[in-house]
Amino acid sequence: MKKLANLLETKQVSSQEIVEHYLGEITRQEPMLNAFITVDQEGALTQAQAADQRRAENRPLSPWDGIPIAIKDNISTRGLNTTCASRFLANYRPLFDATVVRYLKDAGLPILGKTNLDEFAMGSSTEYSAYGVTCNPHDRSRVSGGSSGGSAAAVAAGEIPWSLGSDTGGSIRQPASFCGVVGLKPTYGWVSRYGLVALAPSLDQIGPLATSVEDTAILFSLLAGADPKDASSAAAQTFEVPAWDERCIKGLKIGVPEEFFGKGLHPEVEQAVRRGLRALEEQGAVLVPISLSTNEYAIDTYLTLVTAEASSSLARYDGVRYGERVGAQDSNTMFAKSRAAGFGPEVKRRIILGTYVLSASHYEAYYEQAQRVRTLIRQDVLEAFRHVDVIITPTTPTAAFRIGAKQSPLEMYLSDLFTAMANLSGIPALSVPCGKDSKGLPLGMQIMGKHFSEALLFRVGHFVEKTVGIRGCCR
Amino acid sequence: MISYDTVIGLEIHVALLTQSKFLCSCKASFGAPPNSQCCPICLGLPGALPLINEKAVEYATKAGIALNCQINHFSRFDRKNYFYPDLPKAYQITQDTFPLCTKGFLEYYVDDRLVKTEITRIHMEEEAGKLIHSGASIVDSEYSLVDYNRAGIPLIEIVTAPDIHHPQQARLFLEQLRLLLSYIGVSDTKMEEGSLRCDANISLKPSGSNVLGTKVEIKNLNSFRALERALEYEERRQSQVLNQGGIIRQESCTWDDRTGKTMPMRSKGDAPDYRIFPEPDLPPLHLDPVWVELIRATIPELPLERLKRFEAEYGLSRYEATFLVNYPDFGELFFALACQCRAYKAIVNLLMGDYARLAREKGHLDPQRLAELLTIVDEGQITQTQAKDVLEDLFSSHLSAREIVQEKGLEVMGDPESLRPILRQVLGANSELVHRFQNGDTKLLGFFVGQVMRVTQGKADPGVVNRLLRDELGK
Amino acid sequence: MIDRGEVIRMARLARLELSEAEIAQYQMDLTSFLISGEKLQKVDVSRVEGTSHAVPVTHELRKDEVGPSLPQDAVLLAGPKVQDGFFQVPRIVEAQE
Ligand SMILES: [Zn+2]
Repeated sequence: MKKLANLLETKQVSSQEIVEHYLGEITRQEPMLNAFITVDQEGALTQAQAADQRRAENRPLSPWDGIPIAIKDNISTRGLNTTCASRFLANYRPLFDATVVRYLKDAGLPILGKTNLDEFAMGSSTEYSAYGVTCNPHDRSRVSGGSSGGSAAAVAAGEIPWSLGSDTGGSIRQPASFCGVVGLKPTYGWVSRYGLVALAPSLDQIGPLATSVEDTAILFSLLAGADPKDASSAAAQTFEVPAWDERCIKGLKIGVPEEFFGKGLHPEVEQAVRRGLRALEEQGAVLVPISLSTNEYAIDTYLTLVTAEASSSLARYDGVRYGERVGAQDSNTMFAKSRAAGFGPEVKRRIILGTYVLSASHYEAYYEQAQRVRTLIRQDVLEAFRHVDVIITPTTPTAAFRIGAKQSPLEMYLSDLFTAMANLSGIPALSVPCGKDSKGLPLGMQIMGKHFSEALLFRVGHFVEKTVGIRGCCR
Repeated sequence: MISYDTVIGLEIHVALLTQSKFLCSCKASFGAPPNSQCCPICLGLPGALPLINEKAVEYATKAGIALNCQINHFSRFDRKNYFYPDLPKAYQITQDTFPLCTKGFLEYYVDDRLVKTEITRIHMEEEAGKLIHSGASIVDSEYSLVDYNRAGIPLIEIVTAPDIHHPQQARLFLEQLRLLLSYIGVSDTKMEEGSLRCDANISLKPSGSNVLGTKVEIKNLNSFRALERALEYEERRQSQVLNQGGIIRQESCTWDDRTGKTMPMRSKGDAPDYRIFPEPDLPPLHLDPVWVELIRATIPELPLERLKRFEAEYGLSRYEATFLVNYPDFGELFFALACQCRAYKAIVNLLMGDYARLAREKGHLDPQRLAELLTIVDEGQITQTQAKDVLEDLFSSHLSAREIVQEKGLEVMGDPESLRPILRQVLGANSELVHRFQNGDTKLLGFFVGQVMRVTQGKADPGVVNRLLRDELGK
Repeated sequence: MIDRGEVIRMARLARLELSEAEIAQYQMDLTSFLISGEKLQKVDVSRVEGTSHAVPVTHELRKDEVGPSLPQDAVLLAGPKVQDGFFQVPRIVEAQE
């Protein structure tokens, strides 16, 4: 991105040319990929021309002024459809920008379009999108992952240089891993959630995806910071892109939790991650075998909390103020019919599960219990960080699976096996490509750190990228 | 017939008098065109996040302090989930498990007895929108219209223990509560506009028994009279049912002021399952004890303290003191006058008498002008009868009391030398009666005084006339 | 197996009209979800409180200042049915839950 910025700076290329290039890629590849739900050609070109005008007058809004971006379609963009990949919001146009979208606009980034996801971010493959699955650019018979599958695939395919996703249990990292790009789930509260359509507010975070660690860090620097509109972001500072100093690897204590290298992990994934770990060790890092035994409970805890919060967060879609209404004689029937028609099967499933775990007779046994187990998980993770600087694991148990391969919901939920822990404990986690399997599918390494330790994660990730990484763009 | 004890508990919702709403910065006032005071937050648009209004916390704390509550330094917000067209998010942000205030009480007079009612808790929550029904009532309306201007106005809910024993006491409690809230300035407490609303629980138990009976909840009692009447009705109904061997059903009902009856809404058996859980969008509230003490210092003199002060320091009767407490503007005026004139009884007589009538029509007089009138009367320059005339003129002219007295020539004739000839003239014209007086018919003294007053057109000082007459007649 | 009536009760609470096939499907899903979650039930949590906020923050309260609201036409723009400045909803009846 620094190159692109330099070209813009020296006027060797215009923002309009860049935007036209990516629009061309979108036109060419979208029929095969389906990474976008909405492409805002007109809006992006207008923004690009404005950026060129600013460059001409030598008053760019930022070094990145004029470099386009794509936004996951559950992040509100004023006047631009934000469907959450749901039929219910097929025609919904927000009246306001999400705080992160405002930040991007303030930095001069033209918004090229809105990317595909599982409906309301519930899923791990984009197969639950009301607008069709997004194919993996490395193998179109495979999923791009999810829920931020569109954001990952678009970056991997070179349809866009970088994008925003959201991550509740792995929704940035898992597709980043499947598509061979870099993705960050930031520390809970470091990026404003204002304007992110809620799935589970206590777990949701917006984060960046890009082809390189450096670009991911640059994009993160545009997003990070306290937002007075989000009460949970109050502790956040701004973020500076760190200097890429490899000396940080020397003496770095890397926790390697045995539980993440056991049952269910594909051998080729294990090999790739171990290779990356060896490379780090060779540079002076110390590998510390650790135990994160509570990860055994992570998926079930995560599912209980995410379904509970989702059942409440999605209750507002009742057909009164916006969205698609199905007429009926009375209001309750109208609610029930509109929601039945507007929501897909996975959303309904999670609403039923979430309603169950919150209902009066089950609250204590399920929701309350999961909240307490969450405390144990959080304690387990924070205890581990008293002994190590980062924790490295595979991002996913396997490489991208075939479209239609996961038959049961529980199978699908296991995609978050290694990623949910970071959301439950609020820590940051970066997924970096660490090679490919024998079929040529990208594999990802997950680097987790203490709260607000993103700078270190980027430094470690940058080294991994240099030594065992793959070029993310697969053209 | 068994005799029963009545057990009543109240839940009072009070709209707080903040400038902006509880969770967003929309104006919190009444009377705007429908849906003109709304924003993404109070409309529950996807992605919008709530932000607690500091003033609402301050006012709720103030109410808690004034009601002798424990102010909890840790309190938490919860989501109460239910669908209703006036509830934009389909959940209400409230405080369930950890309310702001607990364990308080309110003292008030029932007849001449000072009684105490326990306040179980006070918590903060958001108001719902307003519904307008197409028909005469909700049940016979084909459709309803929703206005979200009221949605999100801050409320406190004050819950009493079930230790109110009769309908009249419930009314007196509510009157005292309303007075107290208006004293501390946290609400305009207009029952007719819904900024003070009362729900009542009532049950009967055999006299002396410790076991509570089945309670019936009466919703939305929107006047003091409605509260008392509804409770009287329900008390009568329940005792009839019980005496005929019937069973009270636990239910919610509404009060119909027109028919004077309660109407069942739904039976509590299938009370909604609200699936309450901690609000993930809002961190818990930690109040600084120093801040709480600062708020405590802003609490003005409360009604009961003031009542006691009127009685003890100014020697007023309960009746007079109550008047001045219930009408704080009169109370303030009393204080202003009492600084300048120590005839407290005369002040309160004036304020409760003709002054009250005139002030209600024309507004209050400047205390200085009124004080002058009181002084003139106190000095004996004019009589009480004359004072009434002067008072009328004070309201209609800009002259001072002294100027009016002069202009009207109202000064009291208290000079014996000028009164004596008039006296003699009166006695001379009634020599027959003088004779009867001197033979023991002393009641005639009043007649002579009256005659003198008539001749002097009321200007004569009755005291002086009395004394002079006794002199003359005793000769 | 979770009772079918339980699924119906949840669907009513959540205002979701479900087909027979969906009820059967979610009956199975709910059952297997609860079975899978059984190990959670056995965890000893007696010594901890629940976590609602993974990263503790101090609650910054908002100043009581009036900001701009949306214009009425913008508020109503997305409304599926509006009338005279209001949102319109069909007859409101108490739900059978
Ligand atoms: Zn608002």
